[in-house]
Amino acid sequence: MRKFVFFGGKGGVGKTTMSSAYAVKCARDGVRTLLVSTDPAHSTSDVFDQSFTDEPAAVAGESNLAAMEIDPETEVREHLMETKRAMGDQVSPAMVNEIDRQIEMAHQTPGAYESALFDRFIDVMRSADDYDRVVFDTSPTGGTLRLLSLPEYLDGWIQRLLHKRKESVKLFERAAIGNNEPRRMVDGDPIIARLEQRRDDFSFAKTTLQDDAAFFLVVNPDELSLRETERAIDQLDSYGLDVRGLAVNRLTPEPDPDESGRGATFLRERVKTERERLDDLRENFSPPLVAAVETRVAEVKGDFLGEVAAELDVDTAPDTQ
Amino acid sequence: MNDTLLSDSGRVCKLMTLAARIESFRELVEEWLRGLYHGMISHPAYEKIEQQAEDDEDAFMLACFPDAFGIPSPISYYTAELLPYLEDEFEAWERRMWDRGSLLERKGHQYHF
Repeated sequence: MRKFVFFGGKGGVGKTTMSSAYAVKCARDGVRTLLVSTDPAHSTSDVFDQSFTDEPAAVAGESNLAAMEIDPETEVREHLMETKRAMGDQVSPAMVNEIDRQIEMAHQTPGAYESALFDRFIDVMRSADDYDRVVFDTSPTGGTLRLLSLPEYLDGWIQRLLHKRKESVKLFERAAIGNNEPRRMVDGDPIIARLEQRRDDFSFAKTTLQDDAAFFLVVNPDELSLRETERAIDQLDSYGLDVRGLAVNRLTPEPDPDESGRGATFLRERVKTERERLDDLRENFSPPLVAAVETRVAEVKGDFLGEVAAELDVDTAPDTQ
Repeated sequence: MNDTLLSDSGRVCKLMTLAARIESFRELVEEWLRGLYHGMISHPAYEKIEQQAEDDEDAFMLACFPDAFGIPSPISYYTAELLPYLEDEFEAWERRMWDRGSLLERKGHQYHF
C-alpha cells in the first residue's frame, strides 16, 4: 500500500470509523502510523476517547499509532495574523488601512478554509518521515474533492501570475535608462520568490497525491450515496488520483430465518434492497469492494474498532521502493 | 585661451581660433542632437516600455486581487500574503485604475498631444 491513504465520502457515511479502523489495523501490523483528522467535528477524539491537538500525539493503548486533528479555522487565523505582521514590517502607515481591508477580505472567501487545510496537508505530507503510513480522514464537506484538485488548478494560476510578474519586472529593468535604478528588479523580488515557493508546494502536492497516495471511498448502501460515489470516482480519476477501493458501511444485519415479526420482515426487506445495491457496486463500479461492514448497535469505538479493522480487506504493508 | 599661447604666429593663432570655434560649434550641435535624440527617440521609447511594464503590472495585480472589484478569486488566500510586499504597486495600481479614462487615453499618452 502507498504511504498516504485517504478516506473520503459524503458526510456521515462513516469515514472516521473506516479511517480509524484502518489506522489501527496498520499499527497492529507493526507499521508506524499517523492518523490525521480534518473533520471540524473531530470525531477521532470520540473514537479513541482521547483528545488530540494539531501536533501528532501517541494513541493510548496502541504501540505504533499517533493521531492529530487539523483545525482549518485556526490555520486561517494564523495565516491572517502572519500576513498582517509582515505588513506591519513592510508597509507605511498610510497604506495599512487600504491593504488591511484587502487582506481581511481574502481570508473570508470560501476558498480560504480549503486553502488552509490544503497547506496543512502539504505540511503533514512533507514532515511525515517518522511514519510509514499516514491515514487521512477527510472532512465531509464537498470541499474534499475540490481540495484534491487544488494542486492542478492552483499550479496553473500561480504559473500565470509568475509569468506576468516576470514580464513586467523585466520591462521595468529595460525601461531604466543609463545608470538609473530600475523601479523593480528580478533579483531579490519578494513576489517572485513567494510565488515560486507556492508553485513548488503545489507541484510537490501534485506528484505526492498522484504517485504516493491511495484513495478509498466510504459508501452507504443507499441510492444517494451510490450516485455521490460514482461522481466522486469520476472526479478523482480525472485528477489522475488512484481510487483503490470502496468500503461499504452501515449494512443492515440479517435476521435469523426463524424470526417473522414486523421488525424481522422490515430487516429482511432492507437486506434485500441493500444486496441489490451491493451487486450494483460490484458490477458497475470499477474500484473493488474492500469491506462490507454492518451497522453496529452503538458508536464504533474501542473493541468495535478492532472488529471493523478485521473486516477491512486492505493490505497494510508499505510499498518497497 | 590658445590665442595667448600662440601669439607669436598670427596665422596659427587665427587657425586655432577657427578650429576652436568649429569645435565649440560641433559640441553645440552634438548636444542638440543628443537632446533631440533623447527627446524624440530614446525617451519616448523608454516611456513606452515603462508604460507597457505598468500595464503588465496592472494585469498582474488584477489577476492577483480581482476581489477588489467583486470578482471572486480561487487563490486570493495565497495572493493576500503578497500584499505586504506590493505596497507601491497596490497604490499605483489603484490610482491608475481610477485615473484611466479609457484604453485610448492611456495609449494616447505617448504622443504627448
